Amino acid sequence: MKTITILSGKGGAGKSTLTASLAVMLAEHNKIVAVDCDADAPNLALVLGLQEKEFESRESLKTGEKAYISRKKCQSLKFCPKCQATKHCLDSCNYSAITWNPEEGQPEINELLCTGCGACLLNCPTKAIELEEVENATIGVGNTHYGFSIVSGQLKVGESGSGKVVNALRIKASKIAREINAKYMILDAAAGIGCPVIASVRGSDYALLVTEPTPMAFSDLKKAIELINHFNIPCGAVINKWGVNKDFSYQLQDYFQNHQIPLLGMIPYDIRFVEALVNLKPAVVYEPNFKNVFTKIMKNCRSEMEKI
Amino acid sequence: MKIAITGGKGGTGKSTLSTSLALELSHSNNVLLVDVDVECPDDHIILSTTRERMADVESLLPVFNHDKCLKCGKCSEVCRENAVVFVKDRYPFIISGQCNGCGACLLVCPSGALKEGKQVIGAVYKGKCQRNISSENLLLIWGEIEVGCENTSLVVKSTKDHALSIASGKSSYNSKFQSINSNIRSSEDKPLNSPYEYILIDTAAGTHCNVINALIGVDLALAVTEPTPLGKHDLELILSLLKIMETPVQIVVNKADMGDLNLIHQLSQDSNFPIIQEIPYEKDILKKHSRNQPVTHDSIKKLANSISNLPIVGKEEQ
Ligand code: SF4
Ligand code: SF4
Ligand code: SF4
Ligand code: SF4
Repeated sequence: MKTITILSGKGGAGKSTLTASLAVMLAEHNKIVAVDCDADAPNLALVLGLQEKEFESRESLKTGEKAYISRKKCQSLKFCPKCQATKHCLDSCNYSAITWNPEEGQPEINELLCTGCGACLLNCPTKAIELEEVENATIGVGNTHYGFSIVSGQLKVGESGSGKVVNALRIKASKIAREINAKYMILDAAAGIGCPVIASVRGSDYALLVTEPTPMAFSDLKKAIELINHFNIPCGAVINKWGVNKDFSYQLQDYFQNHQIPLLGMIPYDIRFVEALVNLKPAVVYEPNFKNVFTKIMKNCRSEMEKI
Repeated sequence: MKIAITGGKGGTGKSTLSTSLALELSHSNNVLLVDVDVECPDDHIILSTTRERMADVESLLPVFNHDKCLKCGKCSEVCRENAVVFVKDRYPFIISGQCNGCGACLLVCPSGALKEGKQVIGAVYKGKCQRNISSENLLLIWGEIEVGCENTSLVVKSTKDHALSIASGKSSYNSKFQSINSNIRSSEDKPLNSPYEYILIDTAAGTHCNVINALIGVDLALAVTEPTPLGKHDLELILSLLKIMETPVQIVVNKADMGDLNLIHQLSQDSNFPIIQEIPYEKDILKKHSRNQPVTHDSIKKLANSISNLPIVGKEEQ
């Protein structure tokens, strides 16, 4: 099985549009699994027309921990009897998650900022702080109307650790892929180049870069390329909204040529892509004329991957 | 007044709105625009600013002193990021890319074999507009991570701290980087006698730790969305975060005539968060956007006006 990660650096460059259409096309002749790795704001399922209630299963995930002052476990106590107010914990937290509550004479931990690193615990002379696992995400599996499954996560609002959630999503998806003997696993990465994207890219066989002809998307794309090179992953590129800015599109083309990045295809600027999104249909389903564009991208992508 | 420009989904126009609004407000105010989308900051590209590196952002990176190490492996046990690799009877070593600088290993080492070292994980920049935009009153500060860095929220925090210290007129830009262990909470200081009437904070997409760090201490959040089912879905997420954070919020609908505006109106009604402005989807806006020019449009002017007329929340508490 080959793992293909689709990324762009910039949000809104067209990752989900490309992923959805490519997945639908690939699934016509191959067994595939799609994974939405943007656990923070997942929308691949929606783009594929799958409503939340249509998901087959959704289970909760504990990939994170949070520190709390022990009294929290015993709500009747106002103070933690163990805490000796030494303030050691304040110094040990590198994320400014602990503040001093002068009224209670005790520290207070901001759940939104705590990363669960456990440093404060180690520094507390009286063991007044503990770590507890938290349910920070859910992981769902659904059958799309196009003959393949999608694995999609959802981080709880205010929780962190999306990199670890992506790892869990990948494990789940690999299991499904093995069961059905899938040929491709397609990962739709989050925007940016931070921990969830790193977790998606790491160990992929191929990276598909999506960009649009704007200086901003280009700047972000270069960072995504740097990241891919960092992990030594072969890649190819797709230019979306080709034609919005012709001059710049040619500039992009030159850039890819100079950097030995194969240009797998161009997606024209067309209002029907927006309509497809609004109607919750993959572009190739909404407008069968788009098939040419995506068939070409798919073919080029496959032949590039065979060279690896 | 500190205003965050945020919104669940990528590509809804946060950067376009931030830069356009900053320019608009800067006609009659001093504006500090802070781009904390540190993975992919774009505002300096849109505004064509100069680029001056103000400071490195450093994070703690433990260093081993093998002479003192007992090869006990405790450092590896406590590291929740699996950044310390330990094989029995060997010296442990660290994978710097995985380490988020929490310091737990330093605390647990029984022999003091670990020392505080540093790694550069990003930088804070500042820039002034170069384009012949009339405004002299606009300063941009932005943060950028080093590629491969996972501890991005530290770069957000540090960028914000730098910006706010400039805004408060307190310190110079050259101030040394905050000590790694400091508990600076300058994000919550109210800038007194600030030369800047408006501090706009352009956040990353999503609701994760980066965005949370960007939103802490702001007086108002503008949640930018677009009228599609996806836009609505992501707006719901950011609204629920802002609710938890008890941050006043107003909704801005971008590309308002594209898709189904009712979706957002409905959500606004149900959630009680008002829509402050709708910005149309016009070819002209898209063109400007693709040529990285900030957008001047009536709707942005109106938005700037409504913002200057808002009561400054939090002032009355003092
Ligand atoms: S280190 Fe422990 S005892 Fe000291 S203030 Fe913190 S919680 Fe209390
Ligand atoms: S677990 Fe880590 S991040 Fe959380 S409060 Fe303790 S030291 Fe701070
Ligand atoms: S500082 Fe924290 S993350 Fe880094 S190696 Fe030590 S325990 Fe691990
Ligand atoms: S905890 Fe300290 S002594 Fe033990 S292996 Fe780590 S560095 Fe060596």
